[in-house]
Amino acid sequence: MEDRFDIAIIGSGPAGLSAAINAKIRNKKIIVFGSRDLSNKLLKAPKINNYLGFYDISGVELKEKFKQHIDHLGIEITYERINNVYAMGDYFALMVNDKMYEATALVLATGMESSKLLKGEEEFLGKGVGYCATCDAPLYKGKVVTIIGYNREAEEEANYVNELAGKLYYIPMYRKDMKLDQNIEIVNDIPVEVVGEDHVQSLKTKKGELTTDAIFVLKDSISPAQLVPGLAIENEHIKVDRNMSTNLKGCFAAGDCVGRPYQYIKAAGEGLIAGQSAVAYVDSQKNK
Amino acid sequence: MKELLENDFTEEIENYDGVALVDFWAPWCGPCKMIGPIVEQLSEELGDKIKFSKLNVDDNEAIARKYKVMSIPTIMVFKGGEVADTLVGFRPKQELETILKKYV
Ligand SMILES: Cc1cc2nc3c(=O)[nH]c(=O)nc-3n(C[C@H](O)[C@H](O)[C@H](O)COP(=O)(O)OP(=O)(O)OC[C@H]3O[C@@H](n4cnc5c(N)ncnc54)[C@H](O)[C@@H]3O)c2cc1C
Repeated sequence: MEDRFDIAIIGSGPAGLSAAINAKIRNKKIIVFGSRDLSNKLLKAPKINNYLGFYDISGVELKEKFKQHIDHLGIEITYERINNVYAMGDYFALMVNDKMYEATALVLATGMESSKLLKGEEEFLGKGVGYCATCDAPLYKGKVVTIIGYNREAEEEANYVNELAGKLYYIPMYRKDMKLDQNIEIVNDIPVEVVGEDHVQSLKTKKGELTTDAIFVLKDSISPAQLVPGLAIENEHIKVDRNMSTNLKGCFAAGDCVGRPYQYIKAAGEGLIAGQSAVAYVDSQKNK
Repeated sequence: MKELLENDFTEEIENYDGVALVDFWAPWCGPCKMIGPIVEQLSEELGDKIKFSKLNVDDNEAIARKYKVMSIPTIMVFKGGEVADTLVGFRPKQELETILKKYV
């Protein structure tokens, strides 16, 4: 494993990058996780007129400006998706499948996922609803399992779970040909509600109802509460104070993931505060 | 920390008058590996007041089924043999500590 980083930043949108430049300027050892395009939302914006200093600019042009800025400071982006972050007490463990990174402080700048939760999804989380099918599959040996897949990676998980489960339903939330084992039953329908008493019993769909012991929802990005177990959430957003501190010691958050309005310069401003707060936290830990 | 087996569960947990903690885990579970050392640390701090133990759900399926353990890690706190708290999934040390201190 690599050495422990001072600050790990999850997200390469304006919030994450602003946190990164402010931490880098203060000589902290940082790592930034994100995507090649920095942020899909940047790519999509046709014209931006409310970013101070850059009037009448397109999202792609603004992205180029951001890229030049981080390149100039020697900040690189690690193109990996973080699956889970564990607050271990005096450090954070960031997981990318089986690989682990460690950091003293954490800045969450993951943006907002627009797709909504199913009715009952949250209520039955851990009681039949899960987000990692391969993690819990052995508990459902011989039982009925339903997978709601939002991307092609979900198919691999489905094939693995199929080896253990008694019966597997697969509900694709996308249109593409699927590579699924023969005996997996594909259900072309739209999930509506998770039903049960103290445990999942069925999944209501637009056209009917499936009796099932478990439901796994496999999406591109996971909600902050699933990403960082124990993180306090308020009205769908990460709860922060004016220093962008969350309820977890050493964990800060910025951008769309902490609340409205969803705007570039607000995200960048919060990223600046979160970056500086993280720097102060790292310094206080070192002088302990 | 004691590693429980099916046939000492009644004796050690269900018939125990005080507060007992059971960490349900399995070797293939990533988050279990992360919370394990945290529980271990807490057992050193609170071990004289709470009985700490763990149970491998792969080897003890009947117990896991009896207590409806559907996702791991699951931590159960027993008081006088009855389930008093069920914590599903990884928990930060801070949070686990706060919850357990209610029982000491
Ligand atoms: C079409 C469109 C037009 C817009 N126009 C404007 C406008 O004109 N003016 C304006 O101010 N705002 C506009 N916005 C809003 C603006 O895009 C957002 O407010 C802004 O992008 C929020 O920045 P952020 O850094 O919080 O998150 P994002 O820009 O969403 O970035 C989040 C980043 O985190 C990464 N990430 C998430 N989870 C993980 C993980 N687990 N591991 C690794 N990386 C992860 C993502 O890949 C992404 O790179 C527009 C949005 C859209 C969609």
